[in-house]
Amino acid sequence: MKQLLQKLTETFSPSGYEAAIREVIRAEVEPLADEIRVDALGNLIVRKGPSTGSEQAKKIMVAAHMDEIGLIASHIDENGFIRFTTIGGVYPQMLMGARVRFYNGIPGILYTEPLDAPTDTPSIEKMFIDVGAKSRADCPIKIGEVAAFERPFLDLGDRLVAKSMDDRIGCLVAIEALRALKSTPNEVYFVFTTQEEVGTRGAETSAFGLDPDLGFSLDVTGWGDTPGRKHFDIALGKGPAIKIKDGGMLSDPRIIQWMVKTAEANGIPYQREVLLGGTTDARAMQLVRAGVPVGCISIPCRYVHSPSEMVDYNDVQNAVKLTVALLENSVEL
Amino acid sequence: MPEITPFLKSLLSVAGISSYETPVTQLIEKKWRPLVDETRLSRIGSLEALKRGSGPEPRPSIMVATHMDAIGMMVTSIADGFLHFTQVGGIDPRILPGTPVIVHASASGEELPGIVVMPPARALPASVGDGVLGLEHLLIDVGLLPEEVAAKVRTGDLVSFATEPKELAGEVISGHTLDNRASVAVLTVALEELQNKSHAWDVWAVATVQEEVSLGGAFTSAFGLRPQIAVAIDVTFAKGPGANDWQTVPLGKGPTLTMGPNIHPYLFKKFEELAKNLEIPYQTEVTPRHTGTDGYATQVAAEGIPTMVIGIPLRYMHTPVELVALKDIQRAGRLLAEFIASLEPDFVEKIVWED
Repeated sequence: MKQLLQKLTETFSPSGYEAAIREVIRAEVEPLADEIRVDALGNLIVRKGPSTGSEQAKKIMVAAHMDEIGLIASHIDENGFIRFTTIGGVYPQMLMGARVRFYNGIPGILYTEPLDAPTDTPSIEKMFIDVGAKSRADCPIKIGEVAAFERPFLDLGDRLVAKSMDDRIGCLVAIEALRALKSTPNEVYFVFTTQEEVGTRGAETSAFGLDPDLGFSLDVTGWGDTPGRKHFDIALGKGPAIKIKDGGMLSDPRIIQWMVKTAEANGIPYQREVLLGGTTDARAMQLVRAGVPVGCISIPCRYVHSPSEMVDYNDVQNAVKLTVALLENSVEL
Repeated sequence: MPEITPFLKSLLSVAGISSYETPVTQLIEKKWRPLVDETRLSRIGSLEALKRGSGPEPRPSIMVATHMDAIGMMVTSIADGFLHFTQVGGIDPRILPGTPVIVHASASGEELPGIVVMPPARALPASVGDGVLGLEHLLIDVGLLPEEVAAKVRTGDLVSFATEPKELAGEVISGHTLDNRASVAVLTVALEELQNKSHAWDVWAVATVQEEVSLGGAFTSAFGLRPQIAVAIDVTFAKGPGANDWQTVPLGKGPTLTMGPNIHPYLFKKFEELAKNLEIPYQTEVTPRHTGTDGYATQVAAEGIPTMVIGIPLRYMHTPVELVALKDIQRAGRLLAEFIASLEPDFVEKIVWED
């Protein structure tokens, strides 16, 4: 599982450019799927279970987004320096001195124009990417090419660190749940979604296409257990979090109950999540068509949207267990 | 004229915070059931009530959306027996210290009375100590010992306003959640009026969920019901202390008919003609962008639905002491009923753009 996580997190696929990660995931899930397809927005849709369910069987959508935050080249100056803008929520303080890799494999480093004081945080507008080019003609990058953080996977035992843990860890949970789910009476669709980081766009269209009876997302949440963090009851290692609220959505109370009861019945530790900012694919799923009861299983993650996002391996394994326990039996909300 | 105040007061006495509307859904369902042909819940909990029209099938339908969810609070963490909390929907934090609340304690199943409190200035950072405190500095005290609180209250528990509704002199009512239970009362008045009127169109009276967080109920019910036209009724800003005349409307001078890109001009015209003919007091309100109502969702649901927005003037928006004139509720209810009764079977074909 750790090896697969390394492979998932070391793949470069910012929003809109998910082909690389889609192929990695497809190779894992193809042998496990009852049906597999890619829709018009690039979502990888994997069905497990009967395609035409009985009366009791529910159509369930489980979404994990496979895109990651990144950068996109917007201008190349005559000396070969690349100006850029961001794809998704990239903070400038995370970029100073960072290394990135373009989708075509070219590495680059980030720096800034001189600041008023060396302790200032540069704005994105002042920053540039240096790929070692000596001139515009020499620059191997063209306007519109995308890049993502370059940072190797780090195994600290229980604690695992990587770029794009958001949300390759959700993808890992979905893949491992699919592997562990021997049979289900439900019509389950694992959807590896695109473009979450730029507005939960893949989830919106795939949910419209699938028209599920209910669903949930698998995504990271924030943390409250490092110095100075306040009023957020989520810690690494205390179990996956059952989302009650985030910045964009209130989970359906019936889904919360279903998750809580399932976790307690199976002895799986869990935390109750009230996140103030940010949201997940579930928000888009909830409002599709005539509405969908939704929730979210979150994997607590420190330093979200930095190049070194950290999760706890036990939380990951428990998230897999909870996902399987939710899906393997008939669901009555 | 049917007396709506007791029903409105009952609506103002229950929580029904966004996504947890069930207590108020039950009250409304009970009131509406004898007034309509059928009631049901949408997939995410909006109450959809159908009153069938008398026109030939296939019958067009009008959807009237009044959101029933309330703003409120939610526990984010517990420290030494005091509750930290965040908001569900938008709350004006300036009015919170000293406000009575109910903590819906999920571990014990109790409704615990509590009050919103603030630490003394000396215990706060100098930059905020003497000023208005943001939500992150406020706490709820339920009077119990820390271990008792820990045994009863959990992260994610709901907190609702406990302010009792109060009738003031001048036929005015004050309380929490008049946004938008006042409009639920309007729709109820209209359904009562329609008992004695014939109407060709089907009427979908919808008490929507989650308006305060996402307009979610309106998006989904409009998609599911596919009405030919939609009307959203929601509260609007009435002139209060310090307010000017161009961003607010007088209280008690009639509901507002809204104009702007969110509203189909033909529907506005028809409502205005009707109000003039019937001599129902009304005001006009211009909203150049997002009306901040369910109408913003119904307009773009499915293939798009011509939408009208009616406002009920209200003071002290998003506080526990919102204030509405009862007359405006009656007037809006009557106008709505008359509009529905006036819809001819071929009304849709008459909807035209006058560019």
